[in-house]
Amino acid sequence: MSALLNKRLARSLWRMKLRLFAVISMVFVGVFAGVTFGGYAANLETMYDTIYEDSETGTNLADLWIDNQSTVWSSEQVSGFCDSLRQSWPPTSASLDSCEGRMILKGALFHSNETGEHIINSVWHGIPENADIDRTWFPEGNSTVGGRVAQSSNEIVIDAHVTSALSIEIGDEVRIGAGNGSQNFTVVGIAYHPTNIYLAPEGSIFPPEPGQYVIGYLSNEGIESLSGLEGGSSNTIMLDIEGTPGFDLSTTIEYEGQEIDDIKPIVNSSMSENEMDGRVRDRGQNEAVEFMRLDLEGTKKSVTPITIMIGSIAAITIVLSLQRLIQSQSREIAILRTLGVPRTSLMTGYLIAPLAIGAVGCGLGALAAPSGVNSMLDLYQGLIGIPIIERTIPLNLYMSQIGLVMLLVFISGAFPAWKATRIEPLTILGGQSEIRVGSSLLKRLTGWMPTMLGLSIRSSVRKPIRLGLTFLAVGISLMLAGSIQMMTVGLTDSIVGGLEDDQTWDIQVYVQPGGEDDVIQWAIDNDADWEEIIEMPIGILEDSTGMQRTFTLVALQGYGEEESMKSVEIIEGNSPEDVDGEIQVMMDEGSLIMNGWSVGESHQVQIAGTEIDVKITGSIRGEVARTMFFLQPELSSIVGMNATSVYLDLPEGVTVDDSLGMMSSGIIDRQSLLNGIEALLEQQTQILTAVMGLGVLFTLAVMFNTMVMNIAERDFELATLRVLGASTIGIGTMLTFESLLIGFIGGLVGVAFAFGGAVGMASSFSTWAFYFPVILVPSVAFELMSIVIVIALAMVPIGIWRIRRMDLVEKVKDLSQ
Amino acid sequence: MVGLKRHYETPAGVVKALDGIDLEIHEGERVILLGPSGSGKTTLLNCLSALDSPTDGSYIFQGNEVPRNSSEKMTSFRRENIGYVFQFFNLLQDLSVLENIQLIQELSGKKNPTRAKELLSLVGLEEEMGRFPGEISGGQQQRVAIARSIAKKPTLLLGDELTGNLDTETSQKVMQALVEACAKEKITAIFVTHDESLVEYATRVIRIDSGKIMSDETVAQIEV
Repeated sequence: MSALLNKRLARSLWRMKLRLFAVISMVFVGVFAGVTFGGYAANLETMYDTIYEDSETGTNLADLWIDNQSTVWSSEQVSGFCDSLRQSWPPTSASLDSCEGRMILKGALFHSNETGEHIINSVWHGIPENADIDRTWFPEGNSTVGGRVAQSSNEIVIDAHVTSALSIEIGDEVRIGAGNGSQNFTVVGIAYHPTNIYLAPEGSIFPPEPGQYVIGYLSNEGIESLSGLEGGSSNTIMLDIEGTPGFDLSTTIEYEGQEIDDIKPIVNSSMSENEMDGRVRDRGQNEAVEFMRLDLEGTKKSVTPITIMIGSIAAITIVLSLQRLIQSQSREIAILRTLGVPRTSLMTGYLIAPLAIGAVGCGLGALAAPSGVNSMLDLYQGLIGIPIIERTIPLNLYMSQIGLVMLLVFISGAFPAWKATRIEPLTILGGQSEIRVGSSLLKRLTGWMPTMLGLSIRSSVRKPIRLGLTFLAVGISLMLAGSIQMMTVGLTDSIVGGLEDDQTWDIQVYVQPGGEDDVIQWAIDNDADWEEIIEMPIGILEDSTGMQRTFTLVALQGYGEEESMKSVEIIEGNSPEDVDGEIQVMMDEGSLIMNGWSVGESHQVQIAGTEIDVKITGSIRGEVARTMFFLQPELSSIVGMNATSVYLDLPEGVTVDDSLGMMSSGIIDRQSLLNGIEALLEQQTQILTAVMGLGVLFTLAVMFNTMVMNIAERDFELATLRVLGASTIGIGTMLTFESLLIGFIGGLVGVAFAFGGAVGMASSFSTWAFYFPVILVPSVAFELMSIVIVIALAMVPIGIWRIRRMDLVEKVKDLSQ
Repeated sequence: MVGLKRHYETPAGVVKALDGIDLEIHEGERVILLGPSGSGKTTLLNCLSALDSPTDGSYIFQGNEVPRNSSEKMTSFRRENIGYVFQFFNLLQDLSVLENIQLIQELSGKKNPTRAKELLSLVGLEEEMGRFPGEISGGQQQRVAIARSIAKKPTLLLGDELTGNLDTETSQKVMQALVEACAKEKITAIFVTHDESLVEYATRVIRIDSGKIMSDETVAQIEV
């Protein structure tokens, strides 16, 4: 008997095949998205492990970096430090495997092509041939990389991110400088580097346009020759400790950094012994490494919520569809129950149905997932520029995602199934179930309206639970579609907007300490306006949990209108003033929020080893990194230098020339920076569009399902109106009004969900290193609302089409029987 | 109606639901259509109300051919001329008794709240005007349905087994209300029924079988 009952149910389901298709599609997308994101995360993790591992093919990522960009340590100092460190190394800690000094310099590549010579902002690493830590990476099976490490004083390896854009090949000659003239080097290799996986300059999360920022890896002899420094000079020391000591993760409240933090005091003490001063950073504090970890963690974190969100939309649709099916079959079910069919036999079918729907959707999703994973990884390759050669999807990922979706689907089927078995034959066959008393409250609220309008509203809210679930599903769909968009548009608005509209400099010329005078002279010679800027990532503060956090110090000439070539957006308080006995500063809003600090308070911070008290006078928006803003003369007196870079506003016809390139340690062109950000955002827009499209599709499916059910359920009412003479236009107007109402409320709910999602995502992604403000951009809210309203209105023709093809003769038969 | 036919193509062959009906109804008549199941009486009612289009023949209503094969024109014809009472009342559950009547007036562009209340009074339900259909009895609902059907002053009122769902006593009350309303409003009425006892409320009785009129008599003729 059960088999026949199930066959009956299957045929009933087949009759609503359009909705069945929508539900299967949602389940499909749930599994597809879950496995795609999960597979993507798993492959990224494998890739990072492969790059970072200490093996013949890996790079052996350092565990601690000690650096000071404004000094140079001699080889004696470095070896003295390493010896001292080895001697004082605690026997209880994992052993110190390596201690290596490196020279890393900002500089320029003088690149000629058909459009002339270009001075490209660059960073040059000196890496010994037999380096043990942070080696260059030559992955096998990748056509971009090749060659070998630099060995002699005129050899260079160029980072693989830029070779294609600059048409650099192995064997080419390149001319480079680092504030000390320029030299030619032969390219002997093209490779990647573990701290330059994402090719963005320090302090920025935006990579410049391809070819506008170059990194090269020279031999020790090569960097000495380029810089004119003594052999063995370093400004960075790297430590490799056995295994990977735990470091504190900025994304968790828990403290995981005990292991590495136990070592830092010993490092500091060894530095003091050797009269060295510099910042000590673990993997969590090295932005280049931490950014990639955050990216991976963000991806891993998003897998389950995305699957649950999509699964929930599918589950809501299944609940609504099955409930409607049961409602339409209540007479049949009552007859079956009267004939003696037990409740369990009925329930089995209604439980199997969603599982069958789920199985089909999951199967299709699992089959399509590998192409999704590959597309995501290809997109990542395009965005980051790192090859992901080995690609696999773990079996347990399939199992977990399918299991999760099937569980949601099963739960969504259980309630309607249980309801089906609760149907009382006497109630249904006696017609009592059709007797319904309208709502007096609604009658009072809508009694003043034209009757047709009142009927529209009363019909729309007749099933509040269903309507609520519809809004919930629309909300989740729009959360999917709108959250990332809201977060990104808000971020873009504040960062790009600021860079585009509020800054007047053309180029930023980085200089070695004291090198600003030459640049200023160049500016005077060329009638260019100039401004000295200090930007140093050397501030340290203690947060509310007692953790030491590093931040960037920025000093401008002033913060009022036309006082500086860079204006900042002050969202609270005022700009600092030169007051005797008090250092006034502003901080970015992220720092203030994460520290629990407020404008008007005074706090103690550490700059270059000195404790100073600062008064916070204002809060700044638009800074991704944690930053404290000073007046230039004040910070200058604290750090003992006038500038780390000089802003230049070039007059018409003046361009950067060789002489400026050679006196600088890097030049950033504002337009190139903007182009780079815009190019990155354009790539991200593609991802956004895909995710948004998915959300819109879901909204469409949910609204379609609701509209079809609404009309199917109101066949009786609409047929009565038609028989009594209501025109199609009249009923169409009624449906349009209902759709507008549902669309408007759904849109409001959707915007609220999207904003909530954006806030949740931003707080989940925000860390000390990267803070994401969420700004509700009205255009995004209107766009989301319009999408829902347009979708709701687009459903009206379907409703009218259904009413037009209604067989009134048959309906009258139904109405009279 | 002259030579009116309604044939259906089915897998088993052509079904002649109406097979050449010649019929003339005069203003003010109350006609009862009697016949066994499958005789064609509901099909005839559907053609009369322009819910269905005849296959052949002519249907002239007040001198004009009734539209066929055009959903909108047929709807417009119904809206302007026809009142309809269903067996199961089919009142809109979300509207109050009064609003159910006002809706029909709105649809036909003849909104008149005073008349809506008068009609409720005519069928004896002025006390129930603020209630929902689910709050009143079946007989009361059918009387509301009658008031609704005449709210727009239709030329022709049609009813399909309109007492089929009511007990005898209630049926009589409903029919009494209907006769009074039709007389007062000067409405012509045609009812399909199985119930021979309703003949007393008619002025004319037509019996049909196999899609053909078998007899057509006035009540006076029957009584003789």
